[in-house]
Amino acid sequence: MEQVLLIRYDEIHLKGLNRPFFERKLIEGIKHSLSGLNATVHKEQGRIFVYGIAAEDRDEAVDRLTRVFGVHSISPAVGVEKDWNTIVAAARDITEKAIGSREKATFKCFCRRSDKGFFMNSEEINRELGHEMLEAFPNLSVDIREPEIKLCVEIREMAFIYAQEIMGAGGMPTGTAGLATLLISGGIDSPVAGYMMARRGLELTAVHFYSYPYTSERARDKVVDLAKIVSRYSGPIKLHLVPFTEIQLAIYEKCPPKETTVLMRRLMMKIAQLWAEKDGARALITGEALGQVASQTLESLCVTDDAVTMPVFRPLIGFDKNDIVAIAKKIDTFNTSILPYEDCCTVFVPQHPVTKPEVQKMRESEALVDFSEMIQRAIENTETVTAI
Amino acid sequence: MIYLDNSATTRTLDIAADTAAQYMKADFFNPAAAYSAAVEVERNINSARARLANAIHAQSDEIIYTSGGTESNNTAIFGALRARRGGGRIIVGATEHPSVYEAAMSMKGQYVINEARVDKTGAYDVNMLAQSIANDVASVSVMQVNNETGAINDIPAIYKAVKQRAPMAIMHVDGVQGFLKVPFDARYCDMYSISGHKFHAPKGVGALYVKRGTRFAGGQIGGGQERNLRSGTTNTPGIMGMDAAIGYYAENIDNIRQRLMNMKLRLASNLTSISDTFINGPAPELGAPHILNVSFLGVRGEVLLHALEEKGIYVSTGSACSAHKKGKNRILNAMGVVGDRQEGAIRFSLSMFNTIEEMDIAAEEIAAQLAFLRRFKRR
Repeated sequence: MEQVLLIRYDEIHLKGLNRPFFERKLIEGIKHSLSGLNATVHKEQGRIFVYGIAAEDRDEAVDRLTRVFGVHSISPAVGVEKDWNTIVAAARDITEKAIGSREKATFKCFCRRSDKGFFMNSEEINRELGHEMLEAFPNLSVDIREPEIKLCVEIREMAFIYAQEIMGAGGMPTGTAGLATLLISGGIDSPVAGYMMARRGLELTAVHFYSYPYTSERARDKVVDLAKIVSRYSGPIKLHLVPFTEIQLAIYEKCPPKETTVLMRRLMMKIAQLWAEKDGARALITGEALGQVASQTLESLCVTDDAVTMPVFRPLIGFDKNDIVAIAKKIDTFNTSILPYEDCCTVFVPQHPVTKPEVQKMRESEALVDFSEMIQRAIENTETVTAI
Repeated sequence: MIYLDNSATTRTLDIAADTAAQYMKADFFNPAAAYSAAVEVERNINSARARLANAIHAQSDEIIYTSGGTESNNTAIFGALRARRGGGRIIVGATEHPSVYEAAMSMKGQYVINEARVDKTGAYDVNMLAQSIANDVASVSVMQVNNETGAINDIPAIYKAVKQRAPMAIMHVDGVQGFLKVPFDARYCDMYSISGHKFHAPKGVGALYVKRGTRFAGGQIGGGQERNLRSGTTNTPGIMGMDAAIGYYAENIDNIRQRLMNMKLRLASNLTSISDTFINGPAPELGAPHILNVSFLGVRGEVLLHALEEKGIYVSTGSACSAHKKGKNRILNAMGVVGDRQEGAIRFSLSMFNTIEEMDIAAEEIAAQLAFLRRFKRR
């Protein structure tokens, strides 16, 4: 008898001629996530089978797999010889575990048979196995429409039996979509945005702006921690910590007060794009959602976009705050994000920020200062760490 | 480095650290053991106990060793209340440290909690406090020295009021900031807490004075150490380290206190010559010799703190940049230090390791940083 993890993927099946590339990346991702657990990974007939994991490591393995992008669902299964009694015995064990401590439960058998030489066909297997389970468990009954327990049997070179389907993270395998650069703050939104784009297969680099002494060491550490959490899903993230004080003070001194935030964002986008180009990334990612704050009105977003030429991905653009918080809690960034270390000093937040800035006017305000050398210095003094 | 945050913690004296190391590496025995090497350690602990008692005019058997100020404060409050039945009132100072304040507040439901108000220097209004005391008061908890401003409370006057109006009430004094810096006589209270790392002893050790005859249910329960009032293997390195620190301090006590006050006065005079700068608390010469609280208008305390930190000067602020904590410093609020004044509040706390020169260097640097930072106000 073998313990096996059966892994399903779905969108990859749509990929046509490129399918092998995606499958390969998915398998790489799976192997990487299971390192240290002695796993052997095989692709067979549109699914991926993982062998070799010790019983005590199974839960750990499943947990890791739920963070691998491209995995639709996971079923821990047993593989047994194609002998009827052995199959029934294994099915009994699995069903018993699935019933657990419930007083009663409903079930249905699902059989797939790719070994056409097997002595029963799928219908017969479903019927006979169902019958055996009903005998073994008096508190079990059949529900063919919405069974609580789906007892699945696959007859291939072995017989695989399972009753659990654990949902994975979905998405596309890491490394199949290219590289993009995330503007990350210590807030709730940007780590979620990074996660969502990584989930579509992008690898990430990240840029964070700090303004010592207006922001603290702890705010910086918080961002590193957030990047580490996202990296559990996306793989290692090269994080650039950019000193922004000089630029922030220049904006304060020379540009109209109401425009401070919007102009800061433009400069941040420009610097992020410079880093993206250095790293070979082809898009920027932000956590902006429409209308959440003054710098995220439609007009403000137009002004921000105008500062760069790369595409800007804003996966949260249509989300409510509640939706974003729900995801942040699911990926475990929420509790870190709400630690109270500011990443922009309120001294620089205008009391009456402009809400409908015009692109031309903002370009003129920005041109009041020659930022080119300051931008150079910011890039030169950037500290880069790898969040892993 | 110019370290001006000694009310947060102090550097351990070499002799205290070395003594602690000695009791870790050489005389490491458990003083409860039967062999003579352990008995020797026990003797030394008892000598230390006697020296500590002496420093506050108490007796050896009135001293219990603890893991620090928080445990001493918690034990004082809970240990006293557990020894009595029924309800009543607890009076706790509005500016008490969380280990006193939160402990008292946690008894809401069983007790009615009254807060004793402070005046604008941070000292308790003794008349108001006295008037609020009646026979239903179970305990009164006040600090000897206010940790934000250095205001010294009139403990003998408070004690008298308590004993007159509520003779059964237990008076607890938090001496964590005051011990050794300001003279204290334990006869004017029923319980007194101290914390080692505030006077150059290692962290993780402190003591609680409990007057003979006080109804007290004790702290941790276990093997019966500290006369069954606070079980737990005796922290010999901490206690002997603390003893060495007390010994060092006691030898030079007048000198140290005078030097602290001189430095404080120098710093106060330097800083008040800067514009828009105000002292919070009592007049410097009237407060504890080591604490000075100053508001610099036009800056946020934490921003100034980081700017000074870059220059090697370490201070503390009552106004953290935390988005959730604006204007929420309970102690400063209780003193009426609010708004911009709270936002720009910095606490300087000195130790015997500071020098007069440092007071000049620090003030100069502060003036320079202020000139720069004050250019940037929210608009």
